[in-house]
Amino acid sequence: MNSEMINPNETLTIRNLTVDFGGVRAVNDVTMSVQKGELVGLIGPNGAGKTTVFNLITNAFPPTSGQIMLNGKSILGVSPDQICRLGISRTFQNIRLFPQMTAYENVELGFHSVPHYSIAEAFIRTPRATRIEKDTHKKAFELLEIVNLKEHCDERASSLPYGLQRRLEMARAMAASPQLLLLDEPAAGMNEDECKDLIKLIRLIHETMKYTIIMIEHHMNVVMDLCRGYRIYVLSLGSLLAIGTPSEIQNNPQVIKAYLGERKNA
Amino acid sequence: MGYINAILILGGINVIASLGVAILTGYTGLFTIGHAGFMALGGYMSAIMVKELNIPFPLALLIGGVFAGLCSFIIGYPAFRSRLRGDYFAIATLGFAESIRLLLNNTKVLGGLKLGGAFGYMNIPTHTDVYAIVLIVIGALYFAHMFVTSQYGKNCIAISQDEVAAEMMGVNLMKTKLTALFISAFYCGIAGGLLGMYFAYLSPSFFTTVPSAGLLAAVVFGGIQSLIGPFITAFILVLVPELLRSFAEWRLIIYGFLFVIVMIFRPQGLLGYVEMNFTFVHVFWNKIFHRNQTGASEG
Repeated sequence: MNSEMINPNETLTIRNLTVDFGGVRAVNDVTMSVQKGELVGLIGPNGAGKTTVFNLITNAFPPTSGQIMLNGKSILGVSPDQICRLGISRTFQNIRLFPQMTAYENVELGFHSVPHYSIAEAFIRTPRATRIEKDTHKKAFELLEIVNLKEHCDERASSLPYGLQRRLEMARAMAASPQLLLLDEPAAGMNEDECKDLIKLIRLIHETMKYTIIMIEHHMNVVMDLCRGYRIYVLSLGSLLAIGTPSEIQNNPQVIKAYLGERKNA
Repeated sequence: MGYINAILILGGINVIASLGVAILTGYTGLFTIGHAGFMALGGYMSAIMVKELNIPFPLALLIGGVFAGLCSFIIGYPAFRSRLRGDYFAIATLGFAESIRLLLNNTKVLGGLKLGGAFGYMNIPTHTDVYAIVLIVIGALYFAHMFVTSQYGKNCIAISQDEVAAEMMGVNLMKTKLTALFISAFYCGIAGGLLGMYFAYLSPSFFTTVPSAGLLAAVVFGGIQSLIGPFITAFILVLVPELLRSFAEWRLIIYGFLFVIVMIFRPQGLLGYVEMNFTFVHVFWNKIFHRNQTGASEG
């Protein structure tokens, strides 16, 4: 198959992505693709460059070389806010909610980061603007209901417990109605029960709401469970180590080595 | 009566300018110590309009405000492009305001216009009276409230809380910040115009860093993300010096002391995060209404 040809179903294409921070090569020649409707896992030991890949996709900083394409169109050099509008939305490893805004307002922002009425209508608040506000209100509540935060809608984001903040961040990311959702360690710091709830939620988002997702995760049971039938990419020290289905990855000696190290007298 | 009028008018002017700064500093999180510069720009512009071109006073005020707003792009665009924030942006605005003041200070004649340099621009027709001030203050508060509760205003708040997250969520930082800066400069321009048409003359010495710092103080003191806080504080900051007239030398010391106290005990400002709303009116109304009903049913 011609490597230059782009599959029309391919939502995200990354080719030979490399980034240097001074003398450190944080991401080295990474090539990835995500098909429409997939739930792709991205795993690797600490410092492997997983979050850096997300930061490069959303252009928090530019890559040294390589290509990133959304639906076959290059998004290199496009500003982060425009990338969001083009359809890539993300959550953060260290939660970045708007702390003094309520849960509802956080989600609402995802809908109106580009206001739907003109500035003049904002001052005069025409009936059209009021109708748009009501519409946004309804949609935001629908999302809050999906992530089970409806009863917390009026609480400040910073006062919510950690697990709920993660859910809220996912709702906010979904509010931008992305074609591709980047989840950065959604299960970080969660216990077994919370993980189970989270798996249910992500499965709902993926299967029922048909979102295409890339997920960075350290909880292996979460990744292995969710990515069943799809692919997992393993990064180590900035380079791709392996690609495969969950069972392939679990039995890959290189992956085991990267995670656990080698037995001295093996 | 004249004395009280004077306090009301000067207080009103300070309130209008502070509402502008509240939108920029309180809601968008951009500190400024240069908004007196925009007052100067708006003030001179509307004074020229009224005096030289005989344009009606409300229209002249608007032109002054829009002119100040447009001038804000001169500083806003390069500053936001290079992502100046916090103290750095504040210093940029300070430099801008000072250069405006020095330019006015050294411009005696500009294309046939006798701006008067350091002596000031004289004989401006006086139009500012208490009624005009009250009307404009109400309008300014209403429109500021409309803005900060709109989708535009909420995007501003998002930027003040977490700029990176806001950008990643699709908020166009440049546009949103420039909008906030334009509106704040517009408000200050209107305030400057009212000032000129009250005193009948404008001098560059009105627009030093002292009033700029006063505007910032009103917002920080009154409360972040609040309109009513800066509104009250801006008025008090005009009123208090009058009350403390007998110990004028101690005034700034008392000021400084109060600021330190407030910053220690309420870093978010006196009414920080208190949104101006009228739900308490509803609650009060319901209470009375409810009591009447129960009273009636008991009786």
